[in-house]
Amino acid sequence: MMKDPLEEIINIVGKDHILSLPTQLEHYSVDGKKPNLTVFPKTTEEISEIMKVASTAHLAITPRGGGTKIGFGRVPDKVDVIVCTARLNRILEHEASDLIATVECGVSLKKFQAELQEKNQFLAIDPPHVELGATVGGIIATNDSGPKRLKFGTMRESLIGIKVVRPDGSIVKGGAKVVKNVAGYDLPKLYVGSLGTLGIIVEGTFRLYPIPEASKTYLATFPNLEIFQETVLSILNSSIVPTCLEVLNPNLIGAISNKLNLDLKKQKYALAVRIESLEKAVSDQISKVKQISDEKNGEGLLLEGDIEESLWQEIREFPWRISCDNRTVCKASILITDVPGVFQAAEELCKKSGLKTYISGRAGNGVLIFAIEVERPFDYAQGSPQEEMLAVVDVIKSLRALVSSLKGTLVIQDAPISIKSQVDAWGDLGTSHKVMEKLKNLFDPYHILNPGRFI
Amino acid sequence: MSSKPVTKPSNWKKSFADKLLQILGTDGVISSPDEIIAYECDGLTGYRVRPICVVLPKSAKEVSEVIKLCDNENIPFVPRGAGTGLSGGALPTEDGIVISLSRMNRILEIDIPNQRIVVEPGVVNLWVTNAVSSSGYYYAPDPSSQLVCTIGGNVAENSGGVHCLKYGVTTNHVLGLEVVLPDGEIVEVGGKTLDHPGYDLLGLFVGSEGLLGIVTKVTLRILRKPESIKTILAAFEKVEDAGASVSGITAKGIIPAGMEIMDNLSIRAVEEAVQAGYPVEAGAILLVELDGPSAEVEAQTPLVIEVFKENWAKEVRVAKDDDERTLFWKGRKSAFAAMGRVSPDYYVQDGVIPRTKLAKVLGEIGKLSTKYGLRVANVFHAGDGNLHPLILYDSSKSGQLEKAEELAGEILKVCVDEGGSITGEHGVGFDKKQFMPLMFSEEDLDTMYLIRCAFDYKGLCNPGKVFPTPRTCVEVGRTSYREHPIEKSGLGERF
Ligand SMILES: Cc1cc2nc3c(=O)[nH]c(=O)nc-3n(C[C@H](O)[C@H](O)[C@H](O)COP(=O)(O)OP(=O)(O)OC[C@H]3O[C@@H](n4cnc5c(N)ncnc54)[C@H](O)[C@@H]3O)c2cc1C
Repeated sequence: MMKDPLEEIINIVGKDHILSLPTQLEHYSVDGKKPNLTVFPKTTEEISEIMKVASTAHLAITPRGGGTKIGFGRVPDKVDVIVCTARLNRILEHEASDLIATVECGVSLKKFQAELQEKNQFLAIDPPHVELGATVGGIIATNDSGPKRLKFGTMRESLIGIKVVRPDGSIVKGGAKVVKNVAGYDLPKLYVGSLGTLGIIVEGTFRLYPIPEASKTYLATFPNLEIFQETVLSILNSSIVPTCLEVLNPNLIGAISNKLNLDLKKQKYALAVRIESLEKAVSDQISKVKQISDEKNGEGLLLEGDIEESLWQEIREFPWRISCDNRTVCKASILITDVPGVFQAAEELCKKSGLKTYISGRAGNGVLIFAIEVERPFDYAQGSPQEEMLAVVDVIKSLRALVSSLKGTLVIQDAPISIKSQVDAWGDLGTSHKVMEKLKNLFDPYHILNPGRFI
Repeated sequence: MSSKPVTKPSNWKKSFADKLLQILGTDGVISSPDEIIAYECDGLTGYRVRPICVVLPKSAKEVSEVIKLCDNENIPFVPRGAGTGLSGGALPTEDGIVISLSRMNRILEIDIPNQRIVVEPGVVNLWVTNAVSSSGYYYAPDPSSQLVCTIGGNVAENSGGVHCLKYGVTTNHVLGLEVVLPDGEIVEVGGKTLDHPGYDLLGLFVGSEGLLGIVTKVTLRILRKPESIKTILAAFEKVEDAGASVSGITAKGIIPAGMEIMDNLSIRAVEEAVQAGYPVEAGAILLVELDGPSAEVEAQTPLVIEVFKENWAKEVRVAKDDDERTLFWKGRKSAFAAMGRVSPDYYVQDGVIPRTKLAKVLGEIGKLSTKYGLRVANVFHAGDGNLHPLILYDSSKSGQLEKAEELAGEILKVCVDEGGSITGEHGVGFDKKQFMPLMFSEEDLDTMYLIRCAFDYKGLCNPGKVFPTPRTCVEVGRTSYREHPIEKSGLGERF
């Protein structure tokens, strides 16, 4: 007689650390697929034992951190067991003079940053969902990022060492606890953005930065995208070194400025330029930004302190404040010079279909995040929501075609099932997709990890 | 190669070379012994192997045809750039060929507004900066070999330079690659835009030491030149104080472009060689380069000097102009070569430690130096903990080379014991593969081998490097399976 694999898994973590009642499991559904069990292991070894059982019994495992990005990717083929990392929540090491820290991956970014702040340091990453409890592991797995990527890059740049549990249960590490290291393949890079399909990330080691002495943001509005883009290019081609350079469409800056009571003209495009450095250097660069903006007839505000923090928080979080039944969030990656064209196309397509869209763009990276909001929630399909849904699908398809023609890419970061079932979340993976599939098959021969969601 | 059929006719090398000639023409194949000599080794000159021949393709298509032929006939191949690698990465294999990318050396596209440049792999590192310099841009990774080494080699080794503390190493600047896979297929990874969906094959490829395929095109990020640069030299009695200054500077919230430490022996050698004006009595000097907007550099300079003073600096000099700045750097950049003045031979080691362990590790190296009776000079990318001990020996004295190698190995053990790495920029290659188990368990190494298998199932691309023990994909693949009970009982088969 074979043992029931779910029982085995329950025995590994202990009865106090599982959820198995249907009502409890509802909350852990992935795109409507409800697991049979959710477990909260405490150690890497427990995860390893769970993986051994799962690969023997071919159970589909979905790793889960804070659950904030569980909607990334395609609708999964199957969800048997959710493995939550919430109890792997220790900060293992923070060597301040080396600017390095190692944490378990269930640590929330918020807690991690708070700890680092005590020594006047930070992890140079500012993705959304921080308040909602995004974990370090989840951010690695999705390679989610924010406006600060202009200066600091993404997890790709910050993660220098990693420990993972592979689907066969082996516990392996890659990278090192030093900033510079080229011994062996760069395993940390493979796991950044692997969306829980090659193993469960259990630990990460990061390079850190000292918190800059001062920060200021110049927020300027422009009547049209051409002038706006000239300003962006002037700044990029100047001696100014911004931490963030963000463009916001009128809907988004309108909403944010209402919320924060900013004194801005309505119906204009906005550019937010953040400078961080020593006090004097910040003032000097901000005045240069203002000068460039003034030359282009931009109208601007200087923000610092709490209001500055709030502005950046709103820019990161706004798309995700829309209820998940009403929102579709996409990311387009294009050339810096294609930003205005794609920006405008997105706005026009949405307007034509009567859809509301909020767009923010990392103008210096060529990355646009657009959130499309519909009036009536999806998935209660009756009459017009169906129409709205089709309109959203059309917009995504048209934009993806445009972006592809510019050699860029467009992925859906989050959308209701009804959308994701009509348009692929990832789009074309290019000529190297076969190698990706081989990697997946070699690492996870039975496809037990997040089957169907990604590779 | 175990997979080579034993039935190969005696003249198979000649007939294989003939097939290569058909693909590449006479000027594309080197097989005369006098000419092949130059390709028998790279910068790790202690090892030499003669390949069947060397091919010089001019396009990705030619590379692909050559590789397909190798794949068909199970002939191993070794990619090669300028051959400046110090870990034997481009060391040929016997019964294999060398694919030199030196003729693929065109700059294909310069796109200033988008801050991109697209080049062929044989393009020399410094040419990239030269190509965009007039527009006010530069390519950040600057290995000391940048006058000679190629972008293809840089990609394979994930090379660093003296400015990588602030700006990162090669992997942070490569955005796209065209690669000929070990079965001959030409694929693109990444591109001019960021965040390509799918696994980060780009990140895997950079630093893969030529084991995953041959790079035939590279898209790089270029950066706007900083408005201002300031180089400051400080001399200390003790190396510890130089080390403490490094941490002191970052504690002030400053990340300089580069921070370099040299010890007394290096200072003396350099002075003798290039007269950089270094204080020869100093126990150590620390070179700090600040760059960025003028206002920032101006504000940072006094803070850095304050840190030096707090750490008992004997002397602090700020380069007054570009000439003096160049002179400060000249000393550092010629440190390797300068060793030739004080010793007939030297071996360059490359290890990494957490920078707070500097004093301790230098103490250990001192002890080892005494134990082996060989002098060791130290130059150090201090900001990121990358140590380059230069072990001085005399190959004409019997046993000294072996001793030097042994000492070099002991240093790596010290680095790893202190939580560091066996290589920060020169790679594992042929030279250091036996040290991989110091850092990685069998399972860690199996995992890396699985990656290799996804690209190169037969193991023909640059074999015998990086991995300490020969493996096959069949063996390693087996480890990742867990038998299903049905399979175990013999009732069903996998897939
Ligand atoms: C004096 C001196 C100073 C140095 N200073 C530094 C330094 O400061 N920082 C640093 O990081 N390194 C340094 N190096 C080491 C060396 O220069 C670098 O590793 C460099 O990147 C090698 O480039 P190369 O073109 O010479 O490559 P090669 O030595 O020819 O090859 C290196 C590796 O790359 C592979 N390869 C080459 N081209 C390709 C391709 N197109 N596709 C796939 N694989 C390929 C080869 O198979 C080999 O494994 C120094 C070396 C010397 C001699």
